[in-house]
Amino acid sequence: MSAEVKLMPLQQAYDDLVYRSLSRVPCELGRLIYLASTREYNTGHYYHEGLADRFGPDAAQKALEIAHRQAFYKVSAYSLEDLVEELEQYLTSTKEEPQECLRAWQKLEPYRITVPADVNATVARLFTSNLRLALAILRFRQRPSRQHPQAASPQQ
Amino acid sequence: MIGTTSALIAAAALMLLLIAWVRADKALRDLPLGSEGWLSGPEEGAELEACPPEFVSQIFSNCDVAYVERMNSPELERRFHHERNGVALLWVRETAAAVDRIVRSHAEASRRSRDIEFITEASIFFQYVQLRAACAFMFVGIGLAGAQKVRAVAFYADSLNQRIGQVAREFDAGLRAQEMKGAGPS
Repeated sequence: MSAEVKLMPLQQAYDDLVYRSLSRVPCELGRLIYLASTREYNTGHYYHEGLADRFGPDAAQKALEIAHRQAFYKVSAYSLEDLVEELEQYLTSTKEEPQECLRAWQKLEPYRITVPADVNATVARLFTSNLRLALAILRFRQRPSRQHPQAASPQQ
Repeated sequence: MIGTTSALIAAAALMLLLIAWVRADKALRDLPLGSEGWLSGPEEGAELEACPPEFVSQIFSNCDVAYVERMNSPELERRFHHERNGVALLWVRETAAAVDRIVRSHAEASRRSRDIEFITEASIFFQYVQLRAACAFMFVGIGLAGAQKVRAVAFYADSLNQRIGQVAREFDAGLRAQEMKGAGPS
């Protein structure tokens, strides 16, 4: 990233990204996935046409990179319970069949590519590990034979 | 008789230690989708980002355990402990590697310094030894009892790690100022 990125366009690009694009995404996990999708797989560079047109490619790239890292650390800091809720909300918002989505996520682990470059290795591992667990919990909850613990009456 | 009993106890303790070590090592290597090369961290020589303290509390927290236990599923519980122990062990390994790096670069800086304070150096060394011992304890403890059981040691190790880093950074800053003063016009 070039050192010529001035603070003002960067701040403006970041604010624009947050208010114009990210605020429309219903959950933090969705925002993380959206931001990761603006990163080119081959080069690792971020690209957003509208943002680059308005603020220049360097400011746009830096703003996307910062927002991506922030979203990643925010989702990684969720407790397992909150992450399960977040994942449920995200799966509902995709308008795909939730069961099918869950199966695909467990099998393909697409969330792995949402990890930004050069983040702390332990946090990255915590993130993927928690998502694996959240998926397993959601699958478990959907089992028809399972009695929900909250619905179960006390055995005393 | 006492000698035989002591030898048997020592052998049993050693065996337990070995089992714990092997279990911890296996949990660390046993990554669910094969290779996670990108998790080995940045390339050699690159600046490593430290694990923020709030994540340390999260890794060793009891809240997630309680949540999983509410599901009443032994399979989920087993899976949770397997996953969380893997993350905890990675943190232990990362912390040990980080403090090694700090102490190595501090030793290089000390060699260039003209006024080394014995008390500062001894304090850094003492804290380094404590932290390495804590890491070894946690490595075995996580393998034997799980991440949540070594929670207090993990917080202590994290604070020690931050303290050593802080002292080494202050020393380096002082040395740089000294070198700049020495390189200035006489």
